[in-house]
Amino acid sequence: MTHLRSKRLPAPRTSPHNVTAPLDPEEESRPMKTSIRNRRSRRAAIAVALGSVLALTATACGDDGSGSAGDKGNEGSGKGEITFWDNNGGVRTDIWKQIIADFEKKNPDIKVNYVGIPAASAQSKYDTAIQGGGLPDVGGVGTAMLAEVAVQGALEPLDSRLAKSSLNGELSEKLLDSSRAAGGGKALYQIPTSSNNGVLWYRTDLFQKAGLEAPTTWSKFYAAADKLTNKGKNQFGFTIRGGEGSIAPALDAAYSQSGVTSFWNGDKTTVNDPKVVAALEKYVALYKKDTPSADVNNDFTKMVAQWDSGTIGMLSHNLGSYQDHLKALGADRFRGLPNPTLDDGKRVQISNPVDGMSVFKSSKNKAAAWKFVEFAVSHEENSKFNRSAGQIPANTEAAQDAWIQKAEPTKLAAEALNGSDTTIVQLPYYLPDWNTISKADNEPNFQKVLLGKMTAKAFLDTLADQLNKAQADWKQNH
Amino acid sequence: MITDIAPAPERVETRPTRPHGRRRAWDEVPRWHIYLPLSIYLLFTLIPFYWILLFALRPAGSTSLVPWPMTFDHFGKVWNERAFGTYFQNSVLVGIATLVMTTLVALAGGYALARFDFRIKKAFMLALLCTQFVPGALLLVPLFEIFANLRMINSLGSVIIAETVFQLPLSMILISGFIRNVPYSLEEAAWVDGCNRFTAFRIVVLPLLRPGLIAVGSFAFVHAWNHFLFALMFLSDQSKQTIPVGLNTLMSADSVDLGALAAGGIIAAVPVVIVFAFIQKWLITGFSAGAVKG
Repeated sequence: MTHLRSKRLPAPRTSPHNVTAPLDPEEESRPMKTSIRNRRSRRAAIAVALGSVLALTATACGDDGSGSAGDKGNEGSGKGEITFWDNNGGVRTDIWKQIIADFEKKNPDIKVNYVGIPAASAQSKYDTAIQGGGLPDVGGVGTAMLAEVAVQGALEPLDSRLAKSSLNGELSEKLLDSSRAAGGGKALYQIPTSSNNGVLWYRTDLFQKAGLEAPTTWSKFYAAADKLTNKGKNQFGFTIRGGEGSIAPALDAAYSQSGVTSFWNGDKTTVNDPKVVAALEKYVALYKKDTPSADVNNDFTKMVAQWDSGTIGMLSHNLGSYQDHLKALGADRFRGLPNPTLDDGKRVQISNPVDGMSVFKSSKNKAAAWKFVEFAVSHEENSKFNRSAGQIPANTEAAQDAWIQKAEPTKLAAEALNGSDTTIVQLPYYLPDWNTISKADNEPNFQKVLLGKMTAKAFLDTLADQLNKAQADWKQNH
Repeated sequence: MITDIAPAPERVETRPTRPHGRRRAWDEVPRWHIYLPLSIYLLFTLIPFYWILLFALRPAGSTSLVPWPMTFDHFGKVWNERAFGTYFQNSVLVGIATLVMTTLVALAGGYALARFDFRIKKAFMLALLCTQFVPGALLLVPLFEIFANLRMINSLGSVIIAETVFQLPLSMILISGFIRNVPYSLEEAAWVDGCNRFTAFRIVVLPLLRPGLIAVGSFAFVHAWNHFLFALMFLSDQSKQTIPVGLNTLMSADSVDLGALAAGGIIAAVPVVIVFAFIQKWLITGFSAGAVKG
């Protein structure tokens, strides 16, 4: 029908003026025509202006986003502009801008362009840039994503630069080992800036009222969780992480109680070792008994928010939430201890993600990028950064600074991390599939365990199968 | 002579009685049968909004269930310290430019689909529908490469073009439906009066499309306003980022400032709420008109 209609009467090409033309054009049409002409020219002007704005917007100050994984880049002159991507943009923006200002003052011939990326999207931003171009010269890359970025050939090995640098011997060996292991073990792709550590935050006022001792051992932890729970009053002893990011805290609790000190036994993982299974069963049994039932969906945001709202005795998180607790509860109502030990004082904990900086292979100015890394991890700047972030400095001199002695949770975490009684179970961050296995593949299963729809053993057996396969694949390619 | 006159037939009540009965039954329904479920539904809808307001307006650390004492510190923080003023400007620019471009191009395309017949029209319509099943994330890398070749990375233009392209298929389908609803004879009459096709369209058809255009334009604006992915991937410079990216930077890897996040959420939501409050009448008319003869 449309076809017929459109053919029925061809659209005329005449001017539209006569649509509204009066009978006596001599007398009456002049003002009308003028008005139409004015209106038209006004519309034309608006259209041109709008078009110009859009065109200018569309092309203004764009760049070609060059720099993908295939680019070899070059050393450059050590002067000019470099781009730095902060993988935890927003909260850390101010401190990074201070460090950049200090750097540019000391190196007036280098300009650093800061780009803050939301933490949750850093991995996808890097992945897109690796495939499509637009990688920075230098960027923040944590150990949790290091393997995936390194395996795509995007990172510059930094061993020889570190060996010749003033930083050589100044950085924590334990953190350097973690960085090296996370990158696959062959080369150093990340200079560590800071480490996080698991912390058991507890409410000192509630513990005091209930006559409880600080939860330094697992026995004291379970006793306190029971005693502080009063479901009728909506009070709970503990809050468990059942939603996004649940696997690492669950493994931390399980390994810590089991006394198993290595993630691998030959080529097979120990995650389904009977001692680990028993420890996880005990931990999971807290759900609903001593925790809110809504915990099955807890990511760290909800978990921290409900602990800060004041009805829960203990929370297992890391140093990163210290400022949130401080704002919500004040300094006198809570403390942060390293995760509990076994009754004999033996401490086992899983490796926590190490944050750090990497130089990208595609950089056209690697010399300037490296200068920036050296500066940012130097004693003064690394101390400044970690004081702001509430984390453990990678620079060993910075780790001795006065502020860290006054910040109890950070000090205790640093002591636990570096203590001779501590054994760290290294999680396989180097496996390119680690993020998939520890998140998408198994977080739903952990929720099933909490809800009683899957046993802890079945959950850990599934996890072990996936890890053993990923490890075998990785070994085949390395 | 007496003529029998047939008695006038009794007037038969032709109005169906059922609706009347229904109305009576409806009148007899106790008011609380209507208002209670609606109130419960309203509570479910409004409580999250109250919660956001509460976090945004009460001081940090407060656990009060009412926003008292009230503070605007969180708003000041996100606006001044976290560059939400800049993000807001950029989002407005992206939203309005997407609205204008989507509406103009969809209008032209929709007219062609409604008024002309061409050989691959059905296949073209099918292709337009199929594009709705392709998530934007799948096209990120190719889009990134295209914009990089055009030297448009880190330019708001890349986001505007990408948003427009993703909005166009649905907008074209909707607008073609609206145009089909306008009788073709109106345009023909204008031609007879001396208009060419464009003028007839502008003078006769366009004013009748106002509800449809408002529906399509507001849909494009809101989508561009809320969309996170393209802005995150194509823009790096902080001075060019948009509100959804800014909101995400309020959540770090291990800590969230809930007060600032709530204040940022309100800043992001208010323009959309205001836009909808003004246009809801046309929006509903527009979508229902487009739905009748799509």
